[in-house]
Amino acid sequence: MARGGRSGVGELSSEFASVHVSIDLEGNGPRLRVEDLRTGQVGFLDPLELETLAWLPEGALHRFLDPSLHRWRAES
Amino acid sequence: MPSVAPHLPWDELIEPGRVHGSLYTDPDIYAAELERIWYRTWVFVGHVSEVPEPNDYVLKSIGPQPVIMSRDRQGEIHLLLNRCTHRANLVCDAPKGNSSAFRCPYHGWTFSNTGKLLGYPFNSGYDGTALKAELGLGRVPRVAQYQGFVFGSFAEEGPTLEEHLGAATDAFDRLVRLSPTGEVELTAGWLQHKCKANWKMLLENETDGYHPQFVHSSIFSVASSGIGDLYGDKSTAVCRDLGNGHTENDLRPEFRRMDQPLGWFGTKPEKVPDYVAQLEAKLGAETAREVLVDGSPHVMVFPNLFIAEIQLFVIQPTAVDETVQHVTAVQYKGAPDMNRRMLQQTIGSVGPAGFLLADDSEMYERNQRGVQARSPEWLTIRRGMHREREDADGFTVGDATDEVPQRAIWKHYRSLMGGAA
Repeated sequence: MARGGRSGVGELSSEFASVHVSIDLEGNGPRLRVEDLRTGQVGFLDPLELETLAWLPEGALHRFLDPSLHRWRAES
Repeated sequence: MPSVAPHLPWDELIEPGRVHGSLYTDPDIYAAELERIWYRTWVFVGHVSEVPEPNDYVLKSIGPQPVIMSRDRQGEIHLLLNRCTHRANLVCDAPKGNSSAFRCPYHGWTFSNTGKLLGYPFNSGYDGTALKAELGLGRVPRVAQYQGFVFGSFAEEGPTLEEHLGAATDAFDRLVRLSPTGEVELTAGWLQHKCKANWKMLLENETDGYHPQFVHSSIFSVASSGIGDLYGDKSTAVCRDLGNGHTENDLRPEFRRMDQPLGWFGTKPEKVPDYVAQLEAKLGAETAREVLVDGSPHVMVFPNLFIAEIQLFVIQPTAVDETVQHVTAVQYKGAPDMNRRMLQQTIGSVGPAGFLLADDSEMYERNQRGVQARSPEWLTIRRGMHREREDADGFTVGDATDEVPQRAIWKHYRSLMGGAA
């Protein structure tokens, strides 16, 4: 795969979130680029992280869905 | 649980051959019905085919209660109350979606699709995370399925679903037997018809064999349908009390007399050859023919699911004088040619420009206005009392136009509401 640029994958929306996902080729290897369309916040997931996601047991991601964990963290 | 109008004299309002008009208009009676019927007995909520994939969800209801029907990643189906445990906002608003978690739009409280509270923003305001364990979404305590139909009961204990359905299980068995895969799907989408009438006007009408020749004469005429004749004085069809408030118009005696496969559907096998071939391959030619002659059930499952041959109606009371009727076409899994026709017929009868439900709705609203009149105070449901009889299976039956179903509904209603059985 050629280095640079992004190949569009698509937009996913629910009533709770809207994200655009694409394959980012700016680095030495491809990454999945996830953009929160409501805020512009961008995150990346590399192939090993994605493979790990595929193997996560039920509910393992739910720990990260606690709003206080990162995005709306209490100051204290 | 709120107290239930103990002063209401059910035995004096419901007699074997007549019922009092206040049963359709009194807000106290409606409130008591919610507690004693809708929040106690088994109520149809949805079908497994509406949440086919892990993390699918759809919005449903049990009477006025907003319910989320979700399928978790393990495949288990949950009935959750659509109310944030913080300040009571609706957690979900889209009619359907796919999400392992739901985030309330008001303050961001986030729940798993099994109802567990995953967290809330700025948790120092709650002195940590202790609340998480105790503020999961409310849930319908008992959930059970029969032939893929999902029911919920707000009662922690009580009869099982199969005990509640009793003889009405046969209606579901007959329905899925018409599918070449043995499964039905409710994937055609739902129409919602709101009408200004008490929910029991609808419940009683679904198996009322006396009205079709009057109320539905126009659609029978336009469609050149012979169905109207089956609800006449010379018909060999019967109406039946299936017990537990479930009632039936059984047209099979007429269909068997006519002996025409798919005659009940107004078509012929050569019009849906793939479907007929599939059914014959599954059941054998002889049994398939019998099934296609007998047709699909016309059964009102108390209190809210009307299996109307090729379509389903779900009754949702929203106020003492307001009811929403949710309608969808039955779809047989793996039978596209038959499904297309069932969808077309459903659109023609209950769609936005359909005749059938519009005619019924007009009657419901006229009924609700009429019952406001002060005199007479009673509605008469005596038709056919003198010719009630037991069939071979011990069920009470009457002639096609008799009011056996209405009497059966009120008898069960009285037992649930606290009157003498």
